Amino acid sequence: MAYVITDTCTKDELCVEACPVDCIHPKKDEAGFEEIKHLMIDGEACIDCGACVPVCPTNSIYALDELPADLQAFAAANAAYYGR
Amino acid sequence: MAGVLSESTREGELWERLDDKRIRCFACGHRCPIFEGQPGVCKVRFNSGGKLQVPWGYAAGVHADPIEKKPFFHVRPGAVALSFGMLGCDLHCGYCQNWVTSQTLRDPRAVSMGERVTPEQLVEAALARGAEALVSTYNEPLITAEWAVAVFKVAKAAGLVTGFVSNGNATPEVLEYLRPWLDLYKVDLKSFDDRRYRELGGRLEPILDSLRRIHELGFWLEVVTLVVPGFNDSAGELRQMAEFLAGISPDIPWHVTAFHQDYKMTGGRDTGAGDLMRAVEAGRAAGLRYIYAGNLPGELAGQEDTRCPGCAETLVRRRGYRVLEYRLTAGGACPKCGTVIPGRWRR
Repeated sequence: MAYVITDTCTKDELCVEACPVDCIHPKKDEAGFEEIKHLMIDGEACIDCGACVPVCPTNSIYALDELPADLQAFAAANAAYYGR
Repeated sequence: MAGVLSESTREGELWERLDDKRIRCFACGHRCPIFEGQPGVCKVRFNSGGKLQVPWGYAAGVHADPIEKKPFFHVRPGAVALSFGMLGCDLHCGYCQNWVTSQTLRDPRAVSMGERVTPEQLVEAALARGAEALVSTYNEPLITAEWAVAVFKVAKAAGLVTGFVSNGNATPEVLEYLRPWLDLYKVDLKSFDDRRYRELGGRLEPILDSLRRIHELGFWLEVVTLVVPGFNDSAGELRQMAEFLAGISPDIPWHVTAFHQDYKMTGGRDTGAGDLMRAVEAGRAAGLRYIYAGNLPGELAGQEDTRCPGCAETLVRRRGYRVLEYRLTAGGACPKCGTVIPGRWRR
């Protein structure tokens, strides 16, 4: 199922610091961090724990099956970042 | 419910400070980095004021079961095991058969309550029922390891054998912490595919690492694989699991058990006798000596029995959780050829 990050993300990396499986990229020290609009979740590595959701100050992260209709494009954007 | 549970806690031991904002819990293989005010993946261990609070002082189910139900087949056959659970789990398996307790804090449909209890009361309850073992089960015991140790200290003093029925998503630290007080360890090896494990909410690598360590540290280890058609029953995957276990020790009992549709996994089919037989044969081909077909009592003749790897004599005959015949010597050996059968037998 996995979680999805949307474009209200401010790239503060709190989700990265809460994720137990390091499935959120790019990180500050990784290529593409400056240019990318929002962080991305690797749906295949994600274990669906939801730890990223409560720590996000802008409520930018949704469970895939709770993603609002007008934000559906972000599911594809997150997957595409990982070549899925 | 979360409010009631947060009162049944105390400061845990299996954690460290990570930085000025976070602590790290290492009770399970998630090794959750946890911000102030947040719970870990299990939802029952949480950061309060920069310290990890963990479950304490309650039970969400206490039952006297045959030890074969855990399942432990090489431990005092026919013994009563007083089994206690708490709430929560670090995984969220779609086919969980205890989901009402394991997913209480994650799934609003799962409503389950705990009752306050002391370690002494649990041990008294075990002794009153004639139990020889006290086992933490029903939910994932690793996430309540501190409480388990408190209970097991009293249990060991009373002469009871202690056990964990766990998913095996452990850490080196928690296994060292448990070792002085825990005798028996059952691990579910649910798949040999990391992607499948991630669907269940975990990763394969900590499970494999823990299986090796549990054996090395000298816990009595038995492994269960719930054979789920279409999920983990390909010939290749059954062979990989069996070969991995045989590589640790061919003496590890491997229980291959039948799945029935439950919780969220209701689209497929139940496991049949033929499916289990394929798993049994995979275990045999890998060199495992003690393979048991479970959850289909009586359907697979002889596949619930313990046979001597030396002379093939039937040593313990079972049907489901019932022991029909027990023929090991007082030293735990085959009466015919003298081969010693590994286990924690009654002396």
